[in-house]
Amino acid sequence: MDERFNKEFEQLALPLLDPLYNFACWLSGNPDEARDLVQETFVKALKAFASFQAGTNFRAWMFRILRNTFLTSRTGLERRNTSQQDEDGYDEAVVSYETPELAIMRQADTELVQVSIARLSPIFQEVLLLADIEEMKYQEVAETLAIPIGTVMSRLARARKQVREHIVDALGKKS
Amino acid sequence: MNCKYRQKIALYADDELGPPEQQEVSGHLATCPECSAALLELLEMKKSVRLAGTRFSAPLELRRTVQEKLRVRKTPAAFWKWGLALACCLLVATLSFMVYSREQRQNTVIAGLVDQHIIALASEHAVDVVSDDRHNVKPWFQGKLPFTFNLPEVANSPFKLDGGKVVYQQQEAGAELQYEIRKHKISVFIFRSQDGSSKLVHDRGSSFTVEHWTEGGLRFYLVTDASSEDVHQLASMLQEANRL
Repeated sequence: MDERFNKEFEQLALPLLDPLYNFACWLSGNPDEARDLVQETFVKALKAFASFQAGTNFRAWMFRILRNTFLTSRTGLERRNTSQQDEDGYDEAVVSYETPELAIMRQADTELVQVSIARLSPIFQEVLLLADIEEMKYQEVAETLAIPIGTVMSRLARARKQVREHIVDALGKKS
Repeated sequence: MNCKYRQKIALYADDELGPPEQQEVSGHLATCPECSAALLELLEMKKSVRLAGTRFSAPLELRRTVQEKLRVRKTPAAFWKWGLALACCLLVATLSFMVYSREQRQNTVIAGLVDQHIIALASEHAVDVVSDDRHNVKPWFQGKLPFTFNLPEVANSPFKLDGGKVVYQQQEAGAELQYEIRKHKISVFIFRSQDGSSKLVHDRGSSFTVEHWTEGGLRFYLVTDASSEDVHQLASMLQEANRL
């Protein structure tokens, strides 16, 4: 493996260190595990970099490696087994989007939003993190998670709905 | 609410619509307060999620570890690669220098022998032993040279042996034999060689033809202005006579 090859990988991958670590922390809920996941992701990615096709989405590729690494970890397997949720109702989730309560949303502090995100089941949480935090396009999210775009849209709508409901509920109770 | 644009608000907020649709929804938002409010709320939530979700930064120690892991994989490969490249360069440079030095030395020797041939042409006494009989010429060198050699029989050939003398080339004693063919003089120089055998080399660098080869521990140089065919013929006869 020549130096230019490593250099190219470093230039592409190191700027993703923070986003990958953030994503890993949300997925695993544990900083130590997140650290291991990120390290493993970099090692795997460097090994497989020769097979990475130039011109395709490197960021999506790195996030996919991290997510797959997480899914095969003990925590990942546990979460996968306990978080199977019914995904029916995509149309309903979108169509029945209620009249917004903008004022309430503006009252939500960071901690409350973090709790709301943390409460989401993994399949909704990861879509929300990639779309709204990493600002990935639907296509990128679909590539990262290896799911159809329609599923990305469905999960994203439901994730936002659940976050919103939790915030409204929490603030409603407070007031 | 049942606004037909309602489902496109999320796509609009996520910048997932094509330009025509984007424009269409923009136009609609100016006239629909409910969709505008829905968009504002969604944008507000996206902003909140982005701020709250960007929660963890990679610790410095993790950054160092990752960089080290990349470096650890790189260093040995790079070391061996550059080490090998350097070794190859040195080898090529050494071989080139050796070949160049050897060629330079050979060229110097040939230039000196060509001079020696020209001196013989201009000299009234080109040889110290005057004889056309190889059985007289060869023994004359005994005790004068630290090696011996064979001379071919030229009685039935167009060549005539004029004689020989001792010459010095780069402080080394050797034999110079004079042959003649159709009024053309041919100088044959014989020296001891440390090298193995080498093939016959034809050199027309100057107006004289030079052929040289190494065989049986002896180096032979043949300098003349005779034709190449004549040179080859005498060279073959000398090679044959000295073949072990």
